[in-house]
Amino acid sequence: MCVGLSAKVVRIQDGMAMVDADGARREISVQLMDDLEPGDYVMVHAGIAISKITDEDDHETDEIMEALLA
Amino acid sequence: MSEQAQARQSAAEILSSYAGPHLRIMEVCGTHTHEIFRLGIRKLLPPQVDLISGPGCPVCVTPVGFIDEAIWLAEHDVTITTFGDLVRVPGTKKSLAGARAAGGHVQVVYSPLDAVIYAQEHPEEQVCFLAVGFETTVPAACLAVEKAQELGLTNFSLLTANKTMPNAYAALRDSADVFLYPGHVHAITGTQLCEDLAEQGVSGVLAGFTAKELITALAVAVRKAEEGKPFFVNAYPRVVKPEGTPAAVALIEKVMEPCDSEWRGLGVIPQSGLALREEYAAFDARKKYDMPHIEGRANPACRCGDVLRGACKPSDCPVFGKGCTPMHPVGACMVSGEGACSAYYQYGGGVL
Amino acid sequence: MSEQVTLAMGAGGKQTSELIASVFAKRFTSPYFTADDAAVLPRPTGQIAMSTDGFIVSPSFFPGGNIGKLSICGTVNDLSCMGARPLYLTCAFVIEEGYPLDDLRTIADAMAATAAEAGVVLVAGDTKVAGRGQVDGVFITTTGVGEIVEGAAPAGAKAKPGDAIIVTGDVGRHGCTILLARDDFGIEADVTSDCAPLWSSVEAMLGVSKDIHVIRDATRGGVGTVLYEIAEQSGVGISLDAASVPVDPAVGGVCRMLGLEPLYLACEGRLVVIAPKEEAPALVEALRSAPHSGGATIIGEVTDDRPGWVVLNTEIGTQTLLPQPGGELLPRIC
Repeated sequence: MCVGLSAKVVRIQDGMAMVDADGARREISVQLMDDLEPGDYVMVHAGIAISKITDEDDHETDEIMEALLA
Repeated sequence: MSEQAQARQSAAEILSSYAGPHLRIMEVCGTHTHEIFRLGIRKLLPPQVDLISGPGCPVCVTPVGFIDEAIWLAEHDVTITTFGDLVRVPGTKKSLAGARAAGGHVQVVYSPLDAVIYAQEHPEEQVCFLAVGFETTVPAACLAVEKAQELGLTNFSLLTANKTMPNAYAALRDSADVFLYPGHVHAITGTQLCEDLAEQGVSGVLAGFTAKELITALAVAVRKAEEGKPFFVNAYPRVVKPEGTPAAVALIEKVMEPCDSEWRGLGVIPQSGLALREEYAAFDARKKYDMPHIEGRANPACRCGDVLRGACKPSDCPVFGKGCTPMHPVGACMVSGEGACSAYYQYGGGVL
Repeated sequence: MSEQVTLAMGAGGKQTSELIASVFAKRFTSPYFTADDAAVLPRPTGQIAMSTDGFIVSPSFFPGGNIGKLSICGTVNDLSCMGARPLYLTCAFVIEEGYPLDDLRTIADAMAATAAEAGVVLVAGDTKVAGRGQVDGVFITTTGVGEIVEGAAPAGAKAKPGDAIIVTGDVGRHGCTILLARDDFGIEADVTSDCAPLWSSVEAMLGVSKDIHVIRDATRGGVGTVLYEIAEQSGVGISLDAASVPVDPAVGGVCRMLGLEPLYLACEGRLVVIAPKEEAPALVEALRSAPHSGGATIIGEVTDDRPGWVVLNTEIGTQTLLPQPGGELLPRIC
């Protein structure tokens, strides 16, 4: 339902941010995000950041599996 | 073996060794459907686990009448700005691609905010954005309206068909044993609803979109289902926080209000749609252009509706793969890359 | 204001001659390029291959090339795919009234340079000027003749189960470059077109082995479309190893942003080569030594499973189908 793209925030100005995904860059709205800084990762959908991501990779699944198998 | 590969393997083993009773898992989200097909994940599941593709592709659940409304606007000299997904969806008589060939102005955009910029740069044109999508996409449309208002634009509007999930979950609760919840919807709305549903006996796992995330979420679903108690697990915590994105929820609340909404295949679900509030009526295309009520007619042979409810497989539909292919779609489920029929056809439902 | 093409320049009179002399003849220097009605050419000894292609690209200038370079590469590569050394090319221009002459000169420069690199001679041309709005900038059609190398006979119907599938470099760069150059989606990335004349690559391969079953250039529709065409023509299945398909990271990023599949983005300097498995390593080595195929690699094999289909071996060890080629590439967002 919602193609999301994780991208790194390069710079922020006036509620807009330049984000980078493997060298593809685009200006998006970050108006809905608090405390965002360059270097943070966000989930982007339809030109806006919908969430700040705590881990750029999906390593967390390892912990979920550990919990499941424990 | 790397730790990652090990984790994936243990998840895959949980799936393949499941020996419990028949289990229906519904992936609600169309992007999940697409990725599950693209990655061939069904092949990791034992025969008694069914993955059902739910109604989470906004293009697929958008009724035919909405396309007809957009075409009416295009024929009345309004520039249509839209996500690429909607361009080839058949209306009663034609698609937006057909309207464009007939001289209508249809512009594909990446973001509703780009549609506002287009309107600003083309003051001589009337510009309408086709606002489809769920809670994930609604904030972008709301931001677009606010931006247009801030810029004082009088040539920008939305044609809304936005939908929300809570009442759809209720309508679907008997269609599946476990829901694979749409990660990005809940990135906006948070996890409270899922917790509440678990208390009411509806189980679900919130899933991300990579191979590992999907397989892990399915492993969690299978293992927890074996335990026999209703459950909810957030298997996508790096993106979905319990509180969601409060600023987005507040923005939706400010700009839009709930309304009854027609879902293709599911009919009208009360309070499952969003429409612009009265304060934003100037940006509501239906009011702005005094549109007549338009009732669409779907092709009667098409069983998109049953497919969307999980009541039949795409290949059970009489036109699937015959009159209806991705090149010549009859129903919306064959158009969108997320549509169950398109994914089923493209990724070899008939061959592999 | 800089000089522009006028309708009079296409009317066939003195101004036409001046345009041809100042823009084209000056650059397309060859003994065969004369003011007569047709070029008179020495006859090759072997069989000849002949091909024609029309080029419309918007914008006509893009990172890594322009429509002039493209129009030479396109026909040179079509000939090369038949195992034919490109010999002669003709070119026909349809130019929009008002088109800047400087741009036309740049295009002609690129054509001359690319032809020289490919070892092909421009022997005849035609220029028409269309009224404003009747064409978009400049359209070019090139027609080429090549001489088939003795013993080479690649064709789309010759893929056999057990053959290896080679791609000569990373996929989707041209399509991605054009998409970015149109700036419809506000995306920036450092991506340049792969547009290149590929006879040197084919010649290098033929130096190693004449037993090459299929050579195709993956233009419109990309590598994915070419593979489906070959599967259909040869009546075979194709098994692709998804992880081994080379994609530039930035192209991958753009594709993920827009929900597109790199295998379906156009290339203008990439070949798909199908040859017996035992020849493949030497062919790859030869390709890597040629100037435009340094990234050659094996991406899969031909099978007798599921004729007509392209099966992808995914990153998680499952099999799935490569979606069949569709129509217009539309970004997928929701």
